[in-house]
Amino acid sequence: MPGTHVVDDIELIIEDIGGGGGNKPPAGGDSGGGDNDANKRRKPTPMSPRRYQTAIVLAMLSIVMFFMALAVTFLVRKMSSDWVPVHLPFMVWVNTIVILASSGTIELARRKQAEGDLQGFRTLWQVTTGLGVLFLIGQLIAWRQLVDKGFYVSTNPASSFFYIFTAAHGVHLLGGVGALCYVLFRNFEKTKLTQSVAAEVTSYYWHFMDGLWLFLLALLYLGK
Amino acid sequence: MVDYDNSGTPPEAHQPGSIGRKFFRSDHKAIGLRYLWLALFSVFLGMIMSLVMRIHLVWPGAHFPLLSSPGNSPERYSALTLLHGSLMVLMVLTAAPQAGFGNYLLPIQIGARDMAFPILNLLAFWTTAGSLLGVTAAFFLPPQTGLTVWIASVALFCAAGLANALNFSVTTIDLRTKGMTLPRLPVTVWAWFINAILSLLIFSILLAACVYLLADRIVGTHFFTIPTLLSTASLNSQAVALPSLWQRLFWFFAQAQVYVAILPCFGIVTHLISTFSRKPVWAQRAVVLALCAVGLFGFCIWGQHTFASGLNPYSPLVFGLLASSLGLPASMLLISWFGTLWNGKVRLTTAMLFALGFVSLFLSGGLSGLFLARNDLTSTTANDDFVTGHFHLVMGVAATFAMLSALFFWFPKMFGRSLDERLGKIHFWITFVGVYCVFMPMHWLGLIAHLHLSPEATLTAANAAASAIRSFVTVATLATVAAQGIFLVNFMTSLRKPSNAAEKNPWRATTLEWSLPSPPALGNFAGSLPVVYRGAYEFGVPNGAEDFAPQSLPTDGTPPAMPGGTDPGLQPLPPYAAGENTM
Repeated sequence: MPGTHVVDDIELIIEDIGGGGGNKPPAGGDSGGGDNDANKRRKPTPMSPRRYQTAIVLAMLSIVMFFMALAVTFLVRKMSSDWVPVHLPFMVWVNTIVILASSGTIELARRKQAEGDLQGFRTLWQVTTGLGVLFLIGQLIAWRQLVDKGFYVSTNPASSFFYIFTAAHGVHLLGGVGALCYVLFRNFEKTKLTQSVAAEVTSYYWHFMDGLWLFLLALLYLGK
Repeated sequence: MVDYDNSGTPPEAHQPGSIGRKFFRSDHKAIGLRYLWLALFSVFLGMIMSLVMRIHLVWPGAHFPLLSSPGNSPERYSALTLLHGSLMVLMVLTAAPQAGFGNYLLPIQIGARDMAFPILNLLAFWTTAGSLLGVTAAFFLPPQTGLTVWIASVALFCAAGLANALNFSVTTIDLRTKGMTLPRLPVTVWAWFINAILSLLIFSILLAACVYLLADRIVGTHFFTIPTLLSTASLNSQAVALPSLWQRLFWFFAQAQVYVAILPCFGIVTHLISTFSRKPVWAQRAVVLALCAVGLFGFCIWGQHTFASGLNPYSPLVFGLLASSLGLPASMLLISWFGTLWNGKVRLTTAMLFALGFVSLFLSGGLSGLFLARNDLTSTTANDDFVTGHFHLVMGVAATFAMLSALFFWFPKMFGRSLDERLGKIHFWITFVGVYCVFMPMHWLGLIAHLHLSPEATLTAANAAASAIRSFVTVATLATVAAQGIFLVNFMTSLRKPSNAAEKNPWRATTLEWSLPSPPALGNFAGSLPVVYRGAYEFGVPNGAEDFAPQSLPTDGTPPAMPGGTDPGLQPLPPYAAGENTM
């Protein structure tokens, strides 16, 4: 099967098309080294980061609409007669601390990057990724705790909403973990996207996931 | 907010390679064409479905192999309606004007080499194709499984729609070439852009609704039903439905979806009317504002459709007012179209005829819509032939006319050959008369059903009239569908004509795609990206022998530095473009 081979070809074509080089230097805290030694090889001209910033803002807008629709249904549905409140498992509070901490470390990592301390950046970024994975594992444990208490997905509407909200948030957060790994492992000498732009855009999304979790938690806690 | 990336090198020419390369090319033009092929396939499939439905309405005993095979039951008829509706609304009305024509033309018209995220674009296309497969497969599966597959396919379509919307909006915001300021954007680009923003907001709502519905069907949750405690064994049949909750989520999407289908068509028709009247768009700024208003109102009038299911007594008034106020931007558009046509040197090419056909259908369909914006509508009215006639005229057929006009207009650019004008005009006139014969009597059928006279006395007479009208509609449908054969023949034979790639600008149009060879090469612009000096509709300006100024023509009169170093590509006007042999 020529599958992977074909995909590589596409990527090459795309990076050729990719919009060309911006005349302006890429914005953001790019004062540090890192990219400077890349010039000796065929390094594509760095692309203006704006399309990624625009895209992440619009994507967040769309995700907000998605979760608003989920939340509105929750608020309407809980007025019906068969509603049985569910007590949130203890684990969600631990998870909340984990994700808040990860928001802090990602901010520290970007600060290190702006100062040019790439080693510190990598370490803190790895910590953030670890906390992200920890959060996802924690959510699975929270599900386990609910199951142990006898609340399954279809037990009653309140427990269904808990599973759906956490699952939908988890899927979106998994995308965030993917982006964190991309920033860590991607060889940015081959791309027009610089690491600092990738880190910037990922951090927006990560903070957004954090805020979204707080919103969902508040909804589940206050709305039960 | 413009990304002046001018120094980009055009990519190397595409190697004719393996099938894998062909199917996974992420070039926006290839993807746009694939959407159009998908839509062409779906529109013919959907048309056959509607024909089968009409025939079953008049001759209930008729039997078709395959289509009506698992028994001519009412359920199969509903399944037919569902398949017809989902093919037409999703694959044709939503995908073709936006993802099809938009993908092909938007990057070229703003002077970009591709979409902002080509791989995302490719993924969105194949997701859409998977969704088409699922929607069609659902028809042949047992009803309960079929419905689950159908909902999952719709969810897939939403995901693809979101990816597309994101790509379109980012491309328009950040990839415009130097000089392509907002006032200089072609109205087509404005329409695609506004539509993308609207889609970005509403498709996520339908996606959320689909997630709930799938959870209800697959993991046994009760988001839209209340289980009764009488029997735990057969919860599904015992469950009390909470339909209004689902309806609200659905209509929030679906009412705006109507405008998602029609917005790009507004753009296309405005663009074509200006080009073929050889006049600038009349009150262009107001037209753009009207398009924004359609998007905004369309987002806000979701309550319109929940009259039947019950709302707070004041909200119908608000929504009724909002729905009626959509008449304002719609009137603005109509005024602009007529203002552009007024005293124009109108060239009645087939593309222009279809654009004018759109105006006519939009006007007649829109007028019947005013009746439906009344807030005292009851649930009985909301389900009958009057509504069917209304939305088919204003949404289905009008949008199809806009797509056909776009196809006739941009076909020379896409394939380097032109569609046959004589066949095109025959096709236009039969279709134009045909759709009026199909959908106007439907309004009448709807009105007959609402004669609130003494039921016993009038029912037989009304029934006799209704069945005669029904037969007429079926015959008209047969004739109209048959006429589409002319289009198919035209399309297929035109594709085999010798290519005339040197003919860059047969319609004497101003936007950037007409400065390129037909079809444009990979990466669109050879050499550096073009610089834009003018608005998109500078017709009727003195410019040598021509009556228009291309957007890339510098205002100081020096010849434009065309990509590739050639002239703007003006050969003598081909006879089919002059539009003199009007019928």
